[in-house]
Amino acid sequence: MSPRVRLTVLQAAAPLVALLLGVVVAAAIMLALGHDPVATFALMASFNLRPASLASIAFKATPLIFAGLAAAMAFRVNLWNIGVEGQYYIGAFAAAMVGFGLRGLPAVIHLPLTILAGVAGGVLWALPPILLRLRRGAHEVITTIMMNYIALALVHYLLADVFRDPAQAGTPRIRTPLLAASARMPGLHDALALAGIELPGHSALNWLLPVGILLCVALALLLSTTRAGYEVRAVAHGAGAAEAAGIPLDRVHLMMFAGSGALAGLVGLNDLLGFFGYFDVDFPKGLGFLGISVALLAKNHPVGIIFAALLFGYLDRGAEGIQVFSRVPREVITILQAVTILAIVVAYEGVSRYLRALRTREAAVPGAATPGPEAA
Amino acid sequence: MELVASAIRLTVPILLASLGAVFSERGGVVNIGLEGIMIVGTFFGALGALKYGPAAGVAMAAAAGLALALLHAVVTITFHVDQIISGVALNMLAGGLTRFLSILLFGMATQSPGVPGFAPLSVPLLRDVPFLRPVASGISPLVVLAALAVVAAHLILTRTVFGLRLRAVGENPHAADTLGLNVYVLRYSGVLLSGVFAGVAGSYLAIEQGRHYFEGMTQGRGFIALAALIFGNWWPVGAAAASALFGFFDALSLRVVVTGVPYQFITALPYAVSILVLAGVVRRARPPAAAGRPYVKEEG
Repeated sequence: MSPRVRLTVLQAAAPLVALLLGVVVAAAIMLALGHDPVATFALMASFNLRPASLASIAFKATPLIFAGLAAAMAFRVNLWNIGVEGQYYIGAFAAAMVGFGLRGLPAVIHLPLTILAGVAGGVLWALPPILLRLRRGAHEVITTIMMNYIALALVHYLLADVFRDPAQAGTPRIRTPLLAASARMPGLHDALALAGIELPGHSALNWLLPVGILLCVALALLLSTTRAGYEVRAVAHGAGAAEAAGIPLDRVHLMMFAGSGALAGLVGLNDLLGFFGYFDVDFPKGLGFLGISVALLAKNHPVGIIFAALLFGYLDRGAEGIQVFSRVPREVITILQAVTILAIVVAYEGVSRYLRALRTREAAVPGAATPGPEAA
Repeated sequence: MELVASAIRLTVPILLASLGAVFSERGGVVNIGLEGIMIVGTFFGALGALKYGPAAGVAMAAAAGLALALLHAVVTITFHVDQIISGVALNMLAGGLTRFLSILLFGMATQSPGVPGFAPLSVPLLRDVPFLRPVASGISPLVVLAALAVVAAHLILTRTVFGLRLRAVGENPHAADTLGLNVYVLRYSGVLLSGVFAGVAGSYLAIEQGRHYFEGMTQGRGFIALAALIFGNWWPVGAAAASALFGFFDALSLRVVVTGVPYQFITALPYAVSILVLAGVVRRARPPAAAGRPYVKEEG
């Protein structure tokens, strides 16, 4: 096998090997608990093939696509946006405010406005960390983590003290008023019925899924074919060299981080506009951190993110199945995910080290390889 | 005085974790997995205390913290994986692991039965002064331990060969390596120490503060500890002062009626302060020069 071929094989195999390691660890835990791992995984597979499960997997994957994209856009240019979590919380709350605050608008105006509010909220929360990074050198890892907690406190304050639904006064429910129907995201039932697929009636699967997939494809094309995409890739490979070549480094960093925040603003909309229709104290948390895992698994590639998000949705749904039907705690699957992520980052690091060694060797032997643009 | 006593109690977990962070970052390794390690510490602290008494709880939490920190060290130091990524994965692992173990060992996903705490200490004479009674009695031995740890950490970093070498490795690993120091061993020590400290910090929450384990009881204190580290300019005494400030805010937020300010704003204060410090608004932040960067020893 030539080194180039071996490298391609390694790159493709790395995620699979990592996933396998996660499965092995999970299997060991199941064994220790006295469960048959083969039977448990078989149960998970058959449970996940039910129509209700497939719809649920797609629904669970939807926010992870946005969260994964959000993390990946920042990671691409070596900025660590750990703040997707806070950005989507602010975005979702902003969208909720527009959703219940405006009445009597037609859906064609109200829904886009609501989505726009989500995006604006995400960007708003992403701007302080990136501006402080570019202007004052404050490391974005710490500032975004802190912004997450500030977001949580702010949203809880707004929810409990300012925008609490007056109709819920006297009850322990702390939530916003219901969003107007014109701000809700339509389901995919009709569209899928046209294609001959019957979506279970209770499924909350909505148009955000195709939107997310299209965004992934669009961003992949943008990155690979346009001038802006070229600049991003140049910065990703080496900020110093890119700047020396005349690429405005700060502008690329700002755009990518703000874009990351904008995508983060869409994360919460799947649950808000597609399912709950209100924002309450138990609004789903942790999607931002899962998005980081999704981005890592996909190695920040937009199309890879679709598959990584679906895999996470699959595992999450499967975890529910095995918990109900064979009493295996679903946390076994969380451990599986965490082990997979740790293994994948180690594996990718190994592959890129191999790549470096390969290039050094090629550079040392004149004429051994035609020098491509990256080798120079 | 009640407020001061409460502030001291709430300072200890932040302080212990931030002392751990000082060792890790002084050696050049950022450990945002501290939150996860603390979570594991709360669980094993409760477990050990339940089975063999509070001292065993602290020891088990320290050991569990050490194990998790070892994972972080292997991944980041030996395999050169980005320290932030490893930390995120560590936090995720800790969440799943504790929930899982809790179901297995306590029979409940989110909490443990009540656990025994340490016999409280009190200061003779002072405890008889009514005004001072809240602070002079009912003192957890871990509070004393934390106070001693600040002094010890300061002396270790400024006066011992190990401390000076650890700092050298965090500032300029290449130069340290050239001088014959073993960068990897020193960085491992720093990270492992942070695991022990964060584990004990977690056990304090479970054993002394909550008297049982419940899910989410760390409430992001692992991250607040990082904020205290920054505010304290990467020095033990500074971190202690910052932890005390944050502990005071924490105590204040529990007294919402007294202040009249929505408690969410007080909760958010430590985070806002650390952003301002990092931005150089309060004063110049100066992290160890090589913190966050993997060190790859040149081969051949």
